[in-house]
Amino acid sequence: MKSEKFASLNRRTIISILIIISAALLGFRLFQMQILNRNSYENKSAGNSIKSIEKIPLRGVMYDRNMNLLVNNIPAYTIRITPDRYNKKLNHLLEAVLEVDSGYIDNILKQYKVYSRFQPIKIKRGVSFDTIAWLEENQEYLPGVDYIVEMHRDYPAGINGSHIFGYIKEVSQRQLNKKNNYYNLGDYIGSKGIEKTYETELRGKKGWNYVLVDSRRKRIGKYRNGLQDLPAVKGSDIVLSIDEDVQRVAEEELKGRTGALVAIEPATGEILALVSAPEYDLSKFSYITPKDFLQKLYNDPRKPLFNRATMSVKPPGSTYKILAAIAALDLGVINTSTTFYCNGGLTIGGRFFKCHGIHGNINVINAIEKSCNSFFYNLIFKIGIDRWADYSRRFGFGLKTGIDIGEENAGLIPDSKYYEKIYGPKWPTSIMASLVIGQGETSVTPLQLAQFTALIANNGVTYLPHLVKGFIDNTGNVVPYNFKKVDVKIDKKVFDEVKEGMFLVVNGEGTATHIRSKEYLIAGKTGTAQNPHGKDHAWFIAFAPYDNPQIAVAVLVENVGFGGTYAAPIAKKIIETYLNGLKENSKVLDNSIVRLDN
Amino acid sequence: MRIDYNLKDKFDFGLIFPVIILYFIGLAAIYSSTYNNPSAQGNFERQIIWGIAALIVFFITYFLPTNTFKLISIPTYLLSVLLLIIVLLIGRRISGAQSWMTIGPIGFQPSEFAKIGTILALSRFLSKRSMDIDSFKDLSITIGIGMLPVLLILLEPDMGTAIVFILFILTIIFWKGISVFAMFVVLSPAFVAVSSLFGLYYFFGALAIILVTLILFRRDLFFSGSIFTLNLASGFFADYVFRALSPHQQSRIQAFIDPMSDPLGSGYNTIQAKVAIGSGGLFGKGFLAGNQTQLQFIPEQWTDFVYCVIGEEFGFIGSIITIALFVFLFMRILKISFSSKDEFLSLAAIGILAVLFTHFMINIGMVLGIMPVIGLPLPFVSYGGSSLLTNMIMLGIVANIYRTRKSFT
Repeated sequence: MKSEKFASLNRRTIISILIIISAALLGFRLFQMQILNRNSYENKSAGNSIKSIEKIPLRGVMYDRNMNLLVNNIPAYTIRITPDRYNKKLNHLLEAVLEVDSGYIDNILKQYKVYSRFQPIKIKRGVSFDTIAWLEENQEYLPGVDYIVEMHRDYPAGINGSHIFGYIKEVSQRQLNKKNNYYNLGDYIGSKGIEKTYETELRGKKGWNYVLVDSRRKRIGKYRNGLQDLPAVKGSDIVLSIDEDVQRVAEEELKGRTGALVAIEPATGEILALVSAPEYDLSKFSYITPKDFLQKLYNDPRKPLFNRATMSVKPPGSTYKILAAIAALDLGVINTSTTFYCNGGLTIGGRFFKCHGIHGNINVINAIEKSCNSFFYNLIFKIGIDRWADYSRRFGFGLKTGIDIGEENAGLIPDSKYYEKIYGPKWPTSIMASLVIGQGETSVTPLQLAQFTALIANNGVTYLPHLVKGFIDNTGNVVPYNFKKVDVKIDKKVFDEVKEGMFLVVNGEGTATHIRSKEYLIAGKTGTAQNPHGKDHAWFIAFAPYDNPQIAVAVLVENVGFGGTYAAPIAKKIIETYLNGLKENSKVLDNSIVRLDN
Repeated sequence: MRIDYNLKDKFDFGLIFPVIILYFIGLAAIYSSTYNNPSAQGNFERQIIWGIAALIVFFITYFLPTNTFKLISIPTYLLSVLLLIIVLLIGRRISGAQSWMTIGPIGFQPSEFAKIGTILALSRFLSKRSMDIDSFKDLSITIGIGMLPVLLILLEPDMGTAIVFILFILTIIFWKGISVFAMFVVLSPAFVAVSSLFGLYYFFGALAIILVTLILFRRDLFFSGSIFTLNLASGFFADYVFRALSPHQQSRIQAFIDPMSDPLGSGYNTIQAKVAIGSGGLFGKGFLAGNQTQLQFIPEQWTDFVYCVIGEEFGFIGSIITIALFVFLFMRILKISFSSKDEFLSLAAIGILAVLFTHFMINIGMVLGIMPVIGLPLPFVSYGGSSLLTNMIMLGIVANIYRTRKSFT
C-alpha cells in the first residue's frame, strides 16, 4: 500500500541528515562558546555578579602648632537617588522638602545620565535631621530615594582661616577627565588652600569591598568572604604652623577692614597667623555651595575670595627703606657714621622730593627711626638701581615665596632694564627716589614683607614661609616636612645696625612709639603706600622680642592712612598674644627677654 | 493478544530511556534555578508531580487500542479549533499572549492540545486512499487543515507555537511524498516572506531566485505566473504581519539580529544566557554553583532558558549529552515512523518527531544565540506541566505505534 514516494528511504535519509546537521551545528556552537571563548564569557560572568564598592576614607584633620584641633570631620546626611527605581514625578515634592529650586533634581540627574542607572546619585548634602526623619517615615512612597551618612568639614576652633584651610568640593568634570584619575564623580577634592596643596596626604587611600550581587544588583553577600577586600586608609592628620590664638586675634583685629596680616616665626619660616580680610564662611563651602551665596561672594566689591596676604601687591612704603639701608651697609657705601643733611627734602633732576620733617645731619639708624626720606634719596644714588634691585630679589621681593597654599603673586621690583624698556636709555633717574622710599612701581605682598621682616629678625637666615609643619604618622608621631633654607648671606653686623633703627622706631623717638609695650621689646617700621585711588594703605612690619626674635609680623590695612596709626597697633596685639602664649606654654621666654628697663 | 509476548518486542526502551534521563536533567536544572528563588518556590515539587502524571498519561496512551487515534483524529481536531477560538475570547493573558485557559484549578494551553489534534487530522486526511498530494486541490485542503489553527494561534499571538505548527505541517507533507515542485510551491512563499523582513534588497533577491527556479522547472506559463504572483503577495503580507506584531515581538526579532543594540531590554536574556553557557567551560561550574543561575541573571530560567543551567553547571559535557539524548530519541521516532506499515500512524509519528525537533532546535538555538528569542520550552526538560503532558502523550502515541507495529500489514 505504500506509495512509491511515501516514507521512502530517501526521505528518511534526508530527515536523518537534517537532524544530525542541526545537532552538529548546536554542538559546534557549544564547543565555540564553552571551549574556545570560555575565558571571555567567564570574565563577563564574574563581572556580572561581583560588584566593587568604593570605601571613602576619613579625611585627615588639621591641628594647630599646639595640637589644638582646627579642622575636623563631622557626620552629615546626604540624600541619594537611584535612577532605576526613582520616579521623576517625585521631583516636585522632593525639591520642596529639600528647599531647592525646581529643576534642581532634574539637573543633577542629567549630569549623571552616562552612569549606570543602578548607581545611587548624591542629590543634596548636609540635609537636616528633620528631613531624614520625614524620608524615613515616607520611605515606601519614595522608591529609589535613600540617604547615607557622610563626613563633612567642621571648624571647631571658631577661627575662620578661610584663606589658609581652603575647602573641598565635588570633583569637576574637567578634573575627572584627567588620566590616571583617582577620583569618581561625586568624590570630594581639595580645591583651595591647604586642602588643595596637601590633598594627597589628607585624602588617604580609597578602599574597595567586593560583594556578590544578583541580577537586580541587590547585595547578597561578600565575595570570597571579603578576602580580597581592600581596606580604606585614613588620610593623614596634618599639624599646621598656625597658632590658634594668634590667628583668632588677627582675624578679630582685621574684622571690618580690608587688609592682610602675616606672622612668621623667624627661625623656622613657620607661619603663625595668616589673615586676609574680609574672610568668607568656609562652612558654607562644606556642602553643595548655594548659588546665591557664591554669586554674592563674587560680586562683593571687597573681594572676600581674594587672598590679600599672598596676592595683593602694593607699594611697601617706608618699610622698604630698610632694604636700601641693608644694601648700602652691606655694600660698604656707607657706615653708621655716614650722615646726609636733611632740610625737608631733596631736589633731584629739577624736581623737589619732600621729606616729612627737617632732620638735619642724620645717619642711617636715625633715618630708619625717623623715616627720613632725604637720607634715602641720597642713599639710592650711592647704591644704584640695579644693585638695589638685586638686594630686593635676595630678600625674596619680585619673586613668589613658594608658600604651600599655591596662589600668590610675585609683585614687582623694577630695575634699569625695566625703565629702559619704558623710557629708553635716558630714563629719568629721579624715579629712583620714589623707589627707595617704597613708592612708585615697587610692589610687594604682605607675605613677602613678613618674610623680609623674619630675615631681618633672624639675621638673614630663615626657611621658606609655610603653613604646615608635618603630618602625624600611624604611630602618632609628627613627621616634619622639610622646607628650603633661605640665606641672604649678609653679615650679622648689618642686621644689628638696621635692627637698632627699627628698635628706635618703637622705643626711641620714631614713628610708632605709641605701640611701645610694657612687656616686650618690639622693633618695627611703619609704611604708608600712596594710593592714587583713595586713602593711603597702612603698613607695619615688626618683630619681637628685640634681642631674641620669636615672631615677625607684616600688617597691611587698606585705605585708612598712615601706617603707624592703623597697622602698628594690630602688630603689637599679635606680638603680645603670641609671646604671652609662649610664656605660658614653654620655657623659650625667660625674664631676660622681658623688657629690660622695667 | 499473544500470551508469549516479549516485553522488548512490545515496548521500546530506546524511546523512554532518553526521555527519562532528560526529565531528570531537567529536574536538576529546575532545582538549581529555583531553590533559592522565593518567586519560584515549589516549582521543583510541582515538576515531580507533573512527571508522575505525565508517566501515567503516557502509559494510558500506550495501552490504548491503536485504532483510537484514527477514530478520535477528526473530533480532536474540531475540538482543538473550538478551544483555540474560545481561548481568544476568554483566555488568560500571560506574558503578552492570550494562550491560557483554566478548567477548574488547572490552567492549560489549547495550542498544546491542538498540536495533537492537527497532527492526527492531517495524517488522517493524507492517508486517504484517493489522496494525491501533488494535486493542487488535495494540497490546498491539506494546507487549509494545517493553517486554520496556525492563524488562530497567530492571533493570540504566539509566534513560537505557530512556527512549530508550520514546520510539522511541512514535515508531514514531505513525508507523504510531495514532489519537489509542489514542495517548492509550498515553501517559496515562506522563503520570500522571511527574506522580505531583512529589507527590500533581500526581497528582490529572493524573488529573482524564485523566478529563475520557476523557469528551470519549465511548467506552463500561466501556472508559473500565478505562483510568482503568490510569492510577490507573500512578501508584502510578511511585511504587513511584521508591522502587526506586538512591539515586544518586533524588538525580539531585532534583538536577534543585534543583541547588543538593547543590552538591558530584549537582548538582555540572550546576552546573559550566552554568558552563562560560555562560562560553564568543559566540566561546568558544578551543581548549584553557577553564579549566573544562582544570582538569577536570567529571568524565569527554569522555563525556556533551562538549557543555560545545564550549560553553566554541567559544562560542555552535560550540554552535549543532552543534545545526544535528543538525537537518539529523534532517530528512534524516525525509525518507528519509517518501519510502521500503516500510513496514518507513520505520518502521525513523523509529525510528532517534527514537533519535538522544532522545540529542541529553536530552544537550544535561542539559548546559544543562533536563533531569535522565541519562547518555546525544551521538551521533557523545561518546567511546565502543560508541555510535559502533551509531549508524553505524543511519546505515548509513538510507543503505541511501536507496540502494534506488527499488527498492521
